[in-house]
Amino acid sequence: MLALVLRRLWQGAISILGASVIIFVISRLSGDPVVMLVPPDAPPSLIAEIRTQYGLDQPLVWQYLLFIGHALTGDFGNSYRWQMPALKLILDRLPATIQLAACGLLFSVALAVPIGVLSAVHRGGWIDRIGRIFAMLGQAMPAFWVGLLLILVFAVQLNWLPAFGHGTPAHVVLPAIALGWYPVAAQTRIVRSAMLDVLDSDHIRLSRALGTPERLIVWKYALRNAAVPLLTMLGVYFAAMLGGAFVVETIFAWPGVGRTVVEAVFSRDFPVVQAGVLFTSILFVLSNLLVDLSYGLVDPRIRDVR
Amino acid sequence: MVLEVHNLHTHLHLKRGILRAVDGISLTVGEGETLGLVGESGSGKTLTGLSLLRLLPKGSGRIAEGSIKLDGQELTTLSDSAMARDIRGRRIAMIMQDPMTSLNPVFSIGDQVSNPLRNHNIAQGATLRSKVISVLTQVRIPSAEKRLGDYPHQFSGGQRQRIVAAMAIGCTPRLLVADEPTTALDVTIQVQIIALLRQIQADTGTGIILITHDLGVAASLCHRIAVMYAGRIVETGPVRRIYKSPAHPYTQALLAAIPRLGDKRARLQAIPGQPPSLIDPPQGCRFAPRCPARMDKCAEPPPTVTLADGHEAACWKLA
Amino acid sequence: MSASTLPARRIPWAALRRLPWLPLLVLGAVGIAAIGGEAISPHDPNGLDLSASFKPPAWQDGGSWDYPLGADNLGRDILSRIMAGCGVSVIVAFYAILFSGSIGALAGMIAGYFGGRVDAVLMRLIEIQQSVPSIALALILAAAMEPGLSTVVIVIVLTYWAWYARIIRGEIMALKGRDYIAFARTAGVSTPVIFRRHLLPNIFNTLVVLGTLQVGQVILFEASLSFLGLGIQQPDISWGLMLSDARQYITNAWWGITMPGIAIMLTCLSANIFGDWLRDRLDPQMRQL
Repeated sequence: MLALVLRRLWQGAISILGASVIIFVISRLSGDPVVMLVPPDAPPSLIAEIRTQYGLDQPLVWQYLLFIGHALTGDFGNSYRWQMPALKLILDRLPATIQLAACGLLFSVALAVPIGVLSAVHRGGWIDRIGRIFAMLGQAMPAFWVGLLLILVFAVQLNWLPAFGHGTPAHVVLPAIALGWYPVAAQTRIVRSAMLDVLDSDHIRLSRALGTPERLIVWKYALRNAAVPLLTMLGVYFAAMLGGAFVVETIFAWPGVGRTVVEAVFSRDFPVVQAGVLFTSILFVLSNLLVDLSYGLVDPRIRDVR
Repeated sequence: MVLEVHNLHTHLHLKRGILRAVDGISLTVGEGETLGLVGESGSGKTLTGLSLLRLLPKGSGRIAEGSIKLDGQELTTLSDSAMARDIRGRRIAMIMQDPMTSLNPVFSIGDQVSNPLRNHNIAQGATLRSKVISVLTQVRIPSAEKRLGDYPHQFSGGQRQRIVAAMAIGCTPRLLVADEPTTALDVTIQVQIIALLRQIQADTGTGIILITHDLGVAASLCHRIAVMYAGRIVETGPVRRIYKSPAHPYTQALLAAIPRLGDKRARLQAIPGQPPSLIDPPQGCRFAPRCPARMDKCAEPPPTVTLADGHEAACWKLA
Repeated sequence: MSASTLPARRIPWAALRRLPWLPLLVLGAVGIAAIGGEAISPHDPNGLDLSASFKPPAWQDGGSWDYPLGADNLGRDILSRIMAGCGVSVIVAFYAILFSGSIGALAGMIAGYFGGRVDAVLMRLIEIQQSVPSIALALILAAAMEPGLSTVVIVIVLTYWAWYARIIRGEIMALKGRDYIAFARTAGVSTPVIFRRHLLPNIFNTLVVLGTLQVGQVILFEASLSFLGLGIQQPDISWGLMLSDARQYITNAWWGITMPGIAIMLTCLSANIFGDWLRDRLDPQMRQL
């Protein structure tokens, strides 16, 4: 088990390093990076100072090493707009993003599991059919549009829930639904097909033959088996939530990393963009890592194999 | 009698038509008796077993006619919830073919063995735990107490089949239906399982229906044998008589197909031809198209002839 | 893939009779609007008419058939703007799929065919690429370059090439084991010829299916980027951009945020249904995609 953890950590580190290369290369695409590291109205003395500070007169490889060296010590530069270190700005906003992504994931799973289970139990029935239509629609509706529709219906027309902001539990409802909407279809499909397999298995047949109530068979004995494939995908979905958060946070004025980075792009606050993107990547990799390591909790077979 | 089945018809409603999988069979199982239900795959023996528990394929399967009595209580008219609550796993238990897949991989065996006991309110709490341990010990799982938290993959194939047996006998059922319990196992484990079933029967007096295609296994365990062919019982009788003097040509062919040690004829005597379609079965004897002793009369339904005490066969040759 | 035939499979004409007509109709309409452009749209999509400002759709009180889907805050005809948005969607989808498909297919073919270290490097690259969320990638690109149609295409290509590469790699690895490939190699056929004559025809169907399935995703992606202001810029028209505008007057006009969204939804839905249909016909083994 320890060997597995170490191997995964190593792979994750490689991925994050790779991501930093991508970020570095793209940030150098537009020519003189100093222009992006300083405010547009910066005096020439500041530009010259930064140029030496970041070693921009050095070869590109050396520049990358400097970049990653600074990143490792937590120095992404200062956000000129907020007058504070970019890293601190991102870390301050991180909890809100994680909260939103977690709520979105919770929403999608809470919807996908019952629909998937019932679709499998009543295969070909009305729940199955509605679920399939729902899934087709879900795959064709962008998260930001779902968000806008939610605002239109529940905030503007019905005035039930706040359209933007952060603070009370009511604030998280609409953004979480908008964020969790898209993966519901795929998750439903995973649960449904896993349940169909399990319900057809010998051990479920034996449970039935021994008089286990159908309710327990479906929701306890079959579901825990069917949860394994969904769980293995949760990291991917959590990561997808982080990606979606950029859009959803912007619509709902959610004070998270996503909105901060989007705003930073418009004010050309490059240190914040770099720090935010690298941090999202790290979270991305970490969530996949955590899920890989947690298989064993649901599937006892894996605990011993590895 | 523990079990009395009379004129049971089980149909499967398929797109192609109604498949008469079990077509009017009658059988009985006494206290402490083992009945072997023998036939090729597709002869309807498994569906007979599932009919007893009323666990037919959802939507397509149903019992069309006949009666099933357990200790005199009619089961065909019982509600589904009553079947789950009072019969399945409580008074009739079933164990299936493949021990590798019959246990739920993500639950501990302690949980799985206690499940029927809990569902049928046999025991709770500490009593439940000691009961589970005693049942597991009964099926000879070594140091059962320490292994309650272990998962199926940590046990060998033979141990898993014994755990399955433990799940089945925990509630001391009146009847145990064992569907090919040894098929997926290698020979040494087969012998252990047969010994186990014998021991369970000696301990609890339960009736057993052993469903198998293997006449050798049936011979080693059963008191009586019923031979099924194409949804019907063609011959039934005490195990000795069936082996010594099989009356029905199909039983004779089955026995001839068993390879014997030291047999000069190295090749198996396969029965030529295919079993008939059960959607549109022949009017008369169903074995007639493959029968070496076929007569003109075989186009009509054969009479059931009593040959000796408890030995019956349905064949015109004997009439 | 069940392709044992050489070089490509015949097109199943009989199946074409059961085409998914409704989705094709929608896609056809999008195509016509994209080609026809302003010539066939009822109004100038950028033409202001403040007297028509916030005109509701025709079936609502105060609406008129002159503006069938209503008008936005500046009195621009929403139908005309949606039709103009078709053009951007089609162009983005075309280039994004062309480039990500060719780059991904080439990378996948090389990795699958040569295996070994080349393959290991490619797989690692894919893994790294997947550790950066594609929207985040778009954000740094947009910060580094001027946002516009080309950044949208670049971001989509950077995101999707890996998807093609992984699937094509798997197919090539399966093909490589076939006798005729091994025979061609021992017979001294040159590698480019093997690629062109033996490998490409066999993955062609897969590429077509993947490309079709990508259409819907590309359209969603473009809309999201444009909505954020990182994609198509004014005065060009895109559905995502329309939604971004309409967001400001969400309380005044519900049609502003619904109509372009419905256009996105119908187009994606149609592309997905058509893609599924095509996959089932051409490449049934890819059903898990």
